[in-house]
Amino acid sequence: MSHTLVTYKGSTQMRIDMRWLSEALNQSSSADQVKSHSIFIGNQQIPIGDLFDISADDFSDSVVLENSHDKMDYIGFELQAKHKIKVEGDCGHYTGAQLAGGKLKIKGNTLDYTASNMRKGIIKIDGNCGHYAGSAMAGTKKGMSGGTLLVHGNSGDFTGDLMRRGLIMVEGDIGDYCASRMIAGTITNLGGIGKQVGVGMRRGTLLLPHKPEDMSTGFKDYGRHNLGYLTLLLHELRRFESRFQSLHPMRRRVQRYQGDIAVGGQGELLVWIG
Amino acid sequence: MIVNGVVIDDTFSEAFSMRATRVIITAINFKWARHAAETMTGFATSVIGCKVEAGIERMVGNHETPDGRPGVSVLLFATDSKTLEKQLQTRIGQCVLTCPTTAVFSGMQGEPDKQIALGKNLRYFGDGHQTSKMIGNKRFWRIPVMDGEFLCEETTGYQSAIGGGNILVMARSISQALLACEAAIDAMGMLSNIILPFPGGGVRSGSKVGSKYKFLSASTNHPFCPTLKGEPDSALDKNIEAVMEIVVDGLSKEDVFNAMHHGIEAVCDLGKSQGIEKITGGNYGGKLGPHHFHLREIMHESYTRYI
Repeated sequence: MSHTLVTYKGSTQMRIDMRWLSEALNQSSSADQVKSHSIFIGNQQIPIGDLFDISADDFSDSVVLENSHDKMDYIGFELQAKHKIKVEGDCGHYTGAQLAGGKLKIKGNTLDYTASNMRKGIIKIDGNCGHYAGSAMAGTKKGMSGGTLLVHGNSGDFTGDLMRRGLIMVEGDIGDYCASRMIAGTITNLGGIGKQVGVGMRRGTLLLPHKPEDMSTGFKDYGRHNLGYLTLLLHELRRFESRFQSLHPMRRRVQRYQGDIAVGGQGELLVWIG
Repeated sequence: MIVNGVVIDDTFSEAFSMRATRVIITAINFKWARHAAETMTGFATSVIGCKVEAGIERMVGNHETPDGRPGVSVLLFATDSKTLEKQLQTRIGQCVLTCPTTAVFSGMQGEPDKQIALGKNLRYFGDGHQTSKMIGNKRFWRIPVMDGEFLCEETTGYQSAIGGGNILVMARSISQALLACEAAIDAMGMLSNIILPFPGGGVRSGSKVGSKYKFLSASTNHPFCPTLKGEPDSALDKNIEAVMEIVVDGLSKEDVFNAMHHGIEAVCDLGKSQGIEKITGGNYGGKLGPHHFHLREIMHESYTRYI
């Protein structure tokens, strides 16, 4: 499928608000229209055409963003279904925030609030993502509410904070306070995990390869179980090209902890056994 | 039309419109999945008295089921979606939820506006300990039970379907009629998208529409009762001593047509030498339903191989 190539040609060290890119895709704008629009860089308004080269006359459903860097915020913001952005580099804050069904593939790393308030679609990150992945943006009470975030590297602190629904898959390590205040959804990883896992967790599932060293005190051991739904979950995890495909599809025996009692939570922390 | 000595009557069998759904019941092994499915499809022979017609469609291997365990596919047919939903929930609740190690999943995608509750209301059995899980775009309910968790999908789809397709086999004795029916049932049982809702697939009490009694909507199909051969409106020749009916419900007209074709062909394979005299259909003059399956049209393709 042909794609539109968008190349950053500027050199500013200021933050760049990239919401224009999703808007252009969602509204199927022409390249000329987009180039003539201005965005704020610091306190200056600069036409998009001065900062980016756009290869085609019209935006196709698929865009490749080249030469990106970690000062570019809101890449993939509210991107709707059928649209796809591939980023050949790093991204800034709020990458894939409020994603509404589109696909986002990032070759590099992302900063904080990746996939915050994401509703649908998929985000794949080859590198690491910062803090508050899949969480709630400031001023909102619920975080990610659907879709899948797949991180091939590590994710930072507060991963899944206030998460409402959806799936976060991290191949590497997860930082501190994972699943804090989690309302529902699923978070899984294959590496280590930081301190105070699941603090304030109400519902949802944390599926981990090892028991966390520092779990919130509000979690109680509920024993060992064979959980049938894990086969369905594993089937979903194995759909994506990642290290999760190495998990046996019929693996379903886990040690189950439930909490956080402090908030009357019924969240579950499952640790693979056997 | 005469096939292998068996007369194929120049008539049609009448069928009526229904709503159908499919569920997949899985368990630790086929034995328990089958226990659940057989219990769930018990007392589901005819909408006249049971409100629903249900049967086991086929066994489903563990590579085909959502949770990778052995399963059974069950089809349920009712006259409207509301009745179908009510019957499905009652039967899942009493016969599948109660059966050790089982789980139940939707077996029919269905349009978004053609969904009925599966685990949606059953979840309350969990008394607040139930949890839901969205996996992909499907919601599942996990209800704590004494052997672990009962897992069920929230909804299942339903679709338009056809019920009451039938053939009537006339033979010189009961044993010959049964033998022919068993051959037909075996052949039809290999097919997907259909069920034969009556006991073992056969019916000996075929019914006609209406009755001399005003409170009855259906009564014995007396023209086909051998003990009433002397009656003026009897449809039986003197040498016929038994008539058996096979009723088929299917998801589409093609499915019912195909099943009837397989059934009639299996009966004709036995032929007149095995005591099979005639095959006819339940024709009620258009009173039963809008779907008419003409027997000679059904047999047209295979007719030539007997000539």
